[in-house]
Amino acid sequence: MSESKTESLHPGLNLGEEHGEDHLEAETSVFGFWVFMMSDLVTFGMFFIIFASSVTALAGGPGPKELFNLGSVAWQTGFLLLSSLTSGMAVLSLKQEHADTEVPRKKLILWLLLTALLGACFLYREIADFIDMAANGGGPTRSGYLTALWSLVGLHGLHVSGGILWCLVMVVGVMVRGVDRRWKLAILRWAIFWHFLDVVWIAIFTFVFLGGLI
Amino acid sequence: MERSKEFHSYLIGFALATILTIIPFTLVATVGGGVSYVVLVLCAILQLVVHLRFFLHLSFKGQQKEDLHLVLFTGLILLIMIGGSIWVLGSLYTRM
Repeated sequence: MSESKTESLHPGLNLGEEHGEDHLEAETSVFGFWVFMMSDLVTFGMFFIIFASSVTALAGGPGPKELFNLGSVAWQTGFLLLSSLTSGMAVLSLKQEHADTEVPRKKLILWLLLTALLGACFLYREIADFIDMAANGGGPTRSGYLTALWSLVGLHGLHVSGGILWCLVMVVGVMVRGVDRRWKLAILRWAIFWHFLDVVWIAIFTFVFLGGLI
Repeated sequence: MERSKEFHSYLIGFALATILTIIPFTLVATVGGGVSYVVLVLCAILQLVVHLRFFLHLSFKGQQKEDLHLVLFTGLILLIMIGGSIWVLGSLYTRM
Protein backbone atom coordinates (compact mmCIF):
# COMPACT_ATOMS: atom_id res chain seq x y z
CA MET A 1 0.00 0.00 0.00
CA SER A 2 1.42 3.33 -1.00
CA GLU A 3 1.78 5.83 1.75
CA SER A 4 0.13 9.09 0.89
CA LYS A 5 2.17 12.16 1.63
CA THR A 6 -0.80 14.46 1.58
CA GLU A 7 -3.17 12.93 4.07
CA SER A 8 -6.23 14.91 3.17
CA LEU A 9 -6.30 17.81 0.81
CA HIS A 10 -9.66 19.33 1.42
CA PRO A 11 -12.57 19.16 3.82
CA GLY A 12 -15.21 16.52 3.50
CA LEU A 13 -13.59 14.19 1.07
CA ASN A 14 -10.08 13.00 0.70
CA LEU A 15 -9.69 11.31 -2.64
CA GLY A 16 -6.29 9.68 -2.26
CA GLU A 17 -3.32 10.35 -4.46
CA GLU A 18 -4.76 8.15 -7.18
CA HIS A 19 -7.27 10.78 -8.26
CA GLY A 20 -5.11 13.52 -9.70
CA GLU A 21 -7.62 15.30 -11.89
CA ASP A 22 -10.58 14.79 -9.58
CA HIS A 23 -8.50 16.19 -6.83
CA LEU A 24 -7.62 19.44 -8.58
CA GLU A 25 -11.19 20.05 -9.61
CA ALA A 26 -12.41 19.25 -6.11
CA GLU A 27 -10.01 21.75 -4.55
CA THR A 28 -11.33 24.74 -6.48
CA SER A 29 -14.99 23.77 -6.36
CA VAL A 30 -14.84 22.97 -2.65
CA PHE A 31 -13.10 26.26 -1.89
CA GLY A 32 -15.68 28.10 -3.98
CA PHE A 33 -18.44 26.40 -2.04
CA TRP A 34 -16.82 27.43 1.24
CA VAL A 35 -16.97 31.03 0.04
CA PHE A 36 -20.70 30.66 -0.59
CA MET A 37 -21.18 28.90 2.76
CA MET A 38 -19.47 31.72 4.62
CA SER A 39 -21.64 34.35 2.95
CA ASP A 40 -24.61 32.27 4.04
CA LEU A 41 -23.17 32.27 7.55
CA VAL A 42 -23.15 36.08 7.46
CA THR A 43 -26.85 35.95 6.55
CA PHE A 44 -27.49 33.80 9.61
CA GLY A 45 -25.40 36.27 11.60
CA MET A 46 -27.82 39.05 10.57
CA PHE A 47 -30.78 37.02 11.80
CA PHE A 48 -28.94 36.41 15.08
CA ILE A 49 -28.43 40.15 15.49
CA ILE A 50 -32.13 40.75 14.94
CA PHE A 51 -32.95 38.04 17.46
CA ALA A 52 -30.47 39.33 20.06
CA SER A 53 -31.76 42.88 19.75
CA SER A 54 -35.42 41.88 20.12
CA VAL A 55 -35.01 39.26 22.83
CA THR A 56 -36.77 41.48 25.35
CA ALA A 57 -39.43 42.73 22.91
CA LEU A 58 -42.20 40.46 24.21
CA ALA A 59 -44.94 43.10 23.95
CA GLY A 60 -46.89 41.25 26.63
CA GLY A 61 -46.91 38.05 24.59
CA PRO A 62 -45.67 34.62 25.66
CA GLY A 63 -41.94 34.16 26.30
CA PRO A 64 -39.53 31.23 26.06
CA LYS A 65 -40.72 29.54 29.25
CA GLU A 66 -44.31 29.37 28.03
CA LEU A 67 -43.45 28.32 24.49
CA PHE A 68 -40.40 26.06 24.37
CA ASN A 69 -40.42 22.30 24.64
CA LEU A 70 -36.93 21.36 25.79
CA GLY A 71 -37.44 17.64 25.12
CA SER A 72 -38.42 18.29 21.52
CA VAL A 73 -35.43 20.56 20.98
CA ALA A 74 -33.19 17.80 22.39
CA TRP A 75 -34.70 15.30 19.91
CA GLN A 76 -34.14 17.72 17.02
CA THR A 77 -30.55 18.23 18.10
CA GLY A 78 -30.03 14.46 18.26
CA PHE A 79 -31.53 13.87 14.81
CA LEU A 80 -29.37 16.58 13.25
CA LEU A 81 -26.18 15.42 14.94
CA LEU A 82 -26.78 11.82 13.88
CA SER A 83 -27.51 12.96 10.33
CA SER A 84 -24.20 14.80 10.34
CA LEU A 85 -22.50 11.50 11.09
CA THR A 86 -24.41 9.62 8.37
CA SER A 87 -23.63 12.33 5.80
CA GLY A 88 -19.97 11.87 6.74
CA MET A 89 -20.37 8.14 6.13
CA ALA A 90 -21.83 8.91 2.69
CA VAL A 91 -18.76 10.97 1.84
CA LEU A 92 -16.48 8.29 3.23
CA SER A 93 -18.10 5.67 0.98
CA LEU A 94 -17.04 7.81 -2.01
CA LYS A 95 -13.45 7.29 -1.18
CA GLN A 96 -11.94 4.66 -3.39
CA GLU A 97 -9.19 2.33 -2.29
CA HIS A 98 -7.63 2.45 -5.77
CA ALA A 99 -8.37 4.32 -8.97
CA ASP A 100 -9.87 1.28 -10.68
CA THR A 101 -12.20 0.13 -7.92
CA GLU A 102 -15.77 1.27 -8.19
CA VAL A 103 -17.53 3.34 -5.59
CA PRO A 104 -20.06 1.09 -3.79
CA ARG A 105 -23.18 2.72 -5.12
CA LYS A 106 -25.73 0.95 -2.92
CA LYS A 107 -23.85 1.87 0.23
CA LEU A 108 -23.62 5.49 -0.85
CA ILE A 109 -27.33 5.70 -1.65
CA LEU A 110 -28.26 4.09 1.67
CA TRP A 111 -26.22 6.62 3.66
CA LEU A 112 -27.68 9.49 1.63
CA LEU A 113 -31.24 8.28 2.17
CA LEU A 114 -30.62 7.74 5.88
CA THR A 115 -29.34 11.32 6.16
CA ALA A 116 -32.39 12.64 4.33
CA LEU A 117 -34.65 10.60 6.62
CA LEU A 118 -33.00 11.97 9.77
CA GLY A 119 -33.29 15.46 8.32
CA ALA A 120 -37.00 14.82 7.75
CA CYS A 121 -37.40 13.65 11.38
CA PHE A 122 -35.77 16.91 12.49
CA LEU A 123 -38.12 18.96 10.31
CA TYR A 124 -41.16 17.02 11.52
CA ARG A 125 -40.41 17.86 15.17
CA GLU A 126 -39.58 21.44 14.32
CA ILE A 127 -42.81 22.00 12.42
CA ALA A 128 -44.79 20.31 15.22
CA ASP A 129 -43.17 22.74 17.67
CA PHE A 130 -44.05 25.69 15.44
CA ILE A 131 -47.67 24.54 15.30
CA ASP A 132 -47.74 24.15 19.12
CA MET A 133 -46.25 27.59 19.56
CA ALA A 134 -48.83 29.16 17.26
CA ALA A 135 -51.60 27.32 19.12
CA ASN A 136 -50.33 28.74 22.43
CA GLY A 137 -50.57 32.30 21.20
CA GLY A 138 -46.95 32.44 20.03
CA GLY A 139 -47.48 33.14 16.34
CA PRO A 140 -44.87 35.14 14.41
CA THR A 141 -46.94 38.32 14.44
CA ARG A 142 -47.50 38.37 18.23
CA SER A 143 -44.33 40.29 19.19
CA GLY A 144 -40.97 41.45 17.91
CA TYR A 145 -39.33 38.62 19.82
CA LEU A 146 -41.53 36.02 18.15
CA THR A 147 -40.99 37.47 14.68
CA ALA A 148 -37.23 37.24 15.19
CA LEU A 149 -37.55 33.70 16.59
CA TRP A 150 -39.69 32.40 13.73
CA SER A 151 -37.43 34.04 11.12
CA LEU A 152 -34.20 32.66 12.56
CA VAL A 153 -35.39 29.13 13.29
CA GLY A 154 -37.50 29.14 10.12
CA LEU A 155 -34.54 30.15 7.98
CA HIS A 156 -32.59 27.22 9.38
CA GLY A 157 -35.54 24.89 8.74
CA LEU A 158 -35.72 26.16 5.17
CA HIS A 159 -32.03 25.34 4.73
CA VAL A 160 -32.61 21.83 6.07
CA SER A 161 -35.49 21.37 3.60
CA GLY A 162 -33.20 22.53 0.80
CA GLY A 163 -30.51 20.11 1.98
CA ILE A 164 -32.96 17.18 1.95
CA LEU A 165 -34.14 18.09 -1.55
CA TRP A 166 -30.53 18.39 -2.75
CA CYS A 167 -29.77 14.99 -1.21
CA LEU A 168 -32.73 13.31 -2.95
CA VAL A 169 -31.78 14.86 -6.29
CA MET A 170 -28.30 13.39 -5.87
CA VAL A 171 -29.72 9.97 -5.03
CA VAL A 172 -31.69 10.01 -8.29
CA GLY A 173 -28.66 11.34 -10.18
CA VAL A 174 -26.39 8.64 -8.82
CA MET A 175 -28.97 5.96 -9.67
CA VAL A 176 -29.36 7.20 -13.23
CA ARG A 177 -25.80 8.15 -14.15
CA GLY A 178 -23.64 6.30 -11.66
CA VAL A 179 -21.08 7.85 -9.34
CA ASP A 180 -19.26 10.01 -11.86
CA ARG A 181 -17.05 12.97 -11.11
CA ARG A 182 -19.90 15.43 -11.31
CA TRP A 183 -21.90 13.70 -8.59
CA LYS A 184 -18.83 13.12 -6.46
CA LEU A 185 -18.19 16.86 -6.39
CA ALA A 186 -21.86 17.52 -5.70
CA ILE A 187 -21.84 15.13 -2.74
CA LEU A 188 -18.69 16.79 -1.41
CA ARG A 189 -20.28 20.21 -1.46
CA TRP A 190 -23.60 18.98 -0.09
CA ALA A 191 -21.76 17.38 2.85
CA ILE A 192 -20.19 20.74 3.69
CA PHE A 193 -23.64 22.33 3.49
CA TRP A 194 -25.13 19.65 5.76
CA HIS A 195 -22.37 19.86 8.40
CA PHE A 196 -22.69 23.63 8.27
CA LEU A 197 -26.40 23.42 9.10
CA ASP A 198 -25.55 21.41 12.20
CA VAL A 199 -23.02 24.07 13.20
CA VAL A 200 -25.67 26.80 12.85
CA TRP A 201 -28.04 24.65 14.91
CA ILE A 202 -25.52 24.61 17.79
CA ALA A 203 -25.77 28.39 17.93
CA ILE A 204 -29.57 28.26 17.69
CA PHE A 205 -30.13 25.75 20.48
CA THR A 206 -27.58 27.46 22.71
CA PHE A 207 -28.71 31.06 22.33
CA VAL A 208 -32.37 30.76 21.38
CA PHE A 209 -33.65 27.71 23.25
CA LEU A 210 -31.29 27.01 26.18
CA GLY A 211 -30.43 30.69 26.59
CA GLY A 212 -34.13 31.52 26.63
CA LEU A 213 -34.88 28.98 29.35
CA ILE A 214 -32.26 30.07 31.89
CA MET B 1 -5.81 2.60 6.19
CA GLU B 2 -6.44 6.28 5.68
CA ARG B 3 -10.08 5.44 5.32
CA SER B 4 -10.39 3.75 8.70
CA LYS B 5 -8.54 6.69 10.22
CA GLU B 6 -11.16 9.03 8.82
CA PHE B 7 -13.93 6.75 9.99
CA HIS B 8 -12.53 6.99 13.50
CA SER B 9 -12.28 10.75 13.15
CA TYR B 10 -16.02 10.90 12.45
CA LEU B 11 -16.80 8.62 15.41
CA ILE B 12 -14.61 10.63 17.80
CA GLY B 13 -16.23 13.83 16.57
CA PHE B 14 -19.70 12.37 17.03
CA ALA B 15 -18.92 11.17 20.57
CA LEU B 16 -17.45 14.54 21.60
CA ALA B 17 -20.33 16.47 20.03
CA THR B 18 -22.85 14.24 21.81
CA ILE B 19 -21.19 14.84 25.19
CA LEU B 20 -21.01 18.58 24.55
CA THR B 21 -24.72 18.56 23.68
CA ILE B 22 -25.84 16.47 26.65
CA ILE B 23 -24.03 18.68 29.21
CA PRO B 24 -25.91 21.95 28.48
CA PHE B 25 -29.28 20.21 27.93
CA THR B 26 -29.04 18.27 31.21
CA LEU B 27 -27.96 21.38 33.08
CA VAL B 28 -30.89 23.40 31.79
CA ALA B 29 -33.35 20.52 32.37
CA THR B 30 -32.22 19.89 35.98
CA VAL B 31 -30.87 23.17 37.35
CA GLY B 32 -33.01 25.41 35.16
CA GLY B 33 -32.70 29.12 35.87
CA GLY B 34 -29.48 28.84 37.84
CA VAL B 35 -27.28 27.76 34.95
CA SER B 36 -24.57 30.20 34.00
CA TYR B 37 -24.63 31.52 30.44
CA VAL B 38 -20.87 31.10 30.33
CA VAL B 39 -21.15 27.30 30.62
CA LEU B 40 -23.60 27.14 27.71
CA VAL B 41 -21.46 29.36 25.49
CA LEU B 42 -18.32 27.42 26.40
CA CYS B 43 -19.96 24.10 25.43
CA ALA B 44 -21.19 25.65 22.17
CA ILE B 45 -17.74 26.97 21.25
CA LEU B 46 -16.10 23.65 22.07
CA GLN B 47 -18.66 21.79 19.99
CA LEU B 48 -18.11 24.23 17.12
CA VAL B 49 -14.40 23.40 17.18
CA VAL B 50 -15.20 19.67 17.29
CA HIS B 51 -17.42 20.01 14.21
CA LEU B 52 -14.85 22.02 12.26
CA ARG B 53 -12.04 19.67 13.19
CA PHE B 54 -13.64 16.21 12.98
CA PHE B 55 -16.55 16.65 10.54
CA LEU B 56 -15.35 19.39 8.22
CA HIS B 57 -11.69 18.35 8.53
CA LEU B 58 -10.35 21.87 8.74
CA SER B 59 -6.76 22.17 9.88
CA PHE B 60 -3.71 24.35 9.63
CA LYS B 61 -2.20 22.04 6.99
CA GLY B 62 -2.48 21.96 3.20
CA GLN B 63 -5.52 23.10 1.26
CA GLN B 64 -7.71 23.14 4.37
CA LYS B 65 -5.59 25.95 5.66
CA GLU B 66 -7.10 28.26 3.05
CA ASP B 67 -10.60 27.11 3.90
CA LEU B 68 -9.85 27.60 7.59
CA HIS B 69 -8.56 31.12 6.96
CA LEU B 70 -11.82 31.88 5.17
CA VAL B 71 -13.83 30.52 8.10
CA LEU B 72 -11.76 32.43 10.65
CA PHE B 73 -12.06 35.67 8.72
CA THR B 74 -15.83 35.26 8.46
CA GLY B 75 -15.81 34.58 12.19
CA LEU B 76 -14.04 37.89 12.74
CA ILE B 77 -16.59 39.74 10.57
CA LEU B 78 -19.44 38.10 12.49
CA LEU B 79 -17.84 38.96 15.81
CA ILE B 80 -17.57 42.62 14.82
CA MET B 81 -21.10 42.72 13.41
CA ILE B 82 -22.91 40.81 16.15
CA GLY B 83 -20.77 42.07 19.03
CA GLY B 84 -20.94 45.64 17.79
CA SER B 85 -24.70 45.58 17.26
CA ILE B 86 -25.36 44.08 20.69
CA TRP B 87 -23.05 46.62 22.27
CA VAL B 88 -24.66 49.61 20.56
CA LEU B 89 -28.25 48.44 21.01
CA GLY B 90 -27.62 47.29 24.58
CA SER B 91 -26.18 50.68 25.46
CA LEU B 92 -29.17 52.37 23.86
CA TYR B 93 -31.55 50.09 25.74
CA THR B 94 -30.08 50.94 29.15
CA ARG B 95 -30.33 54.67 28.41
CA MET B 96 -33.99 54.55 27.49
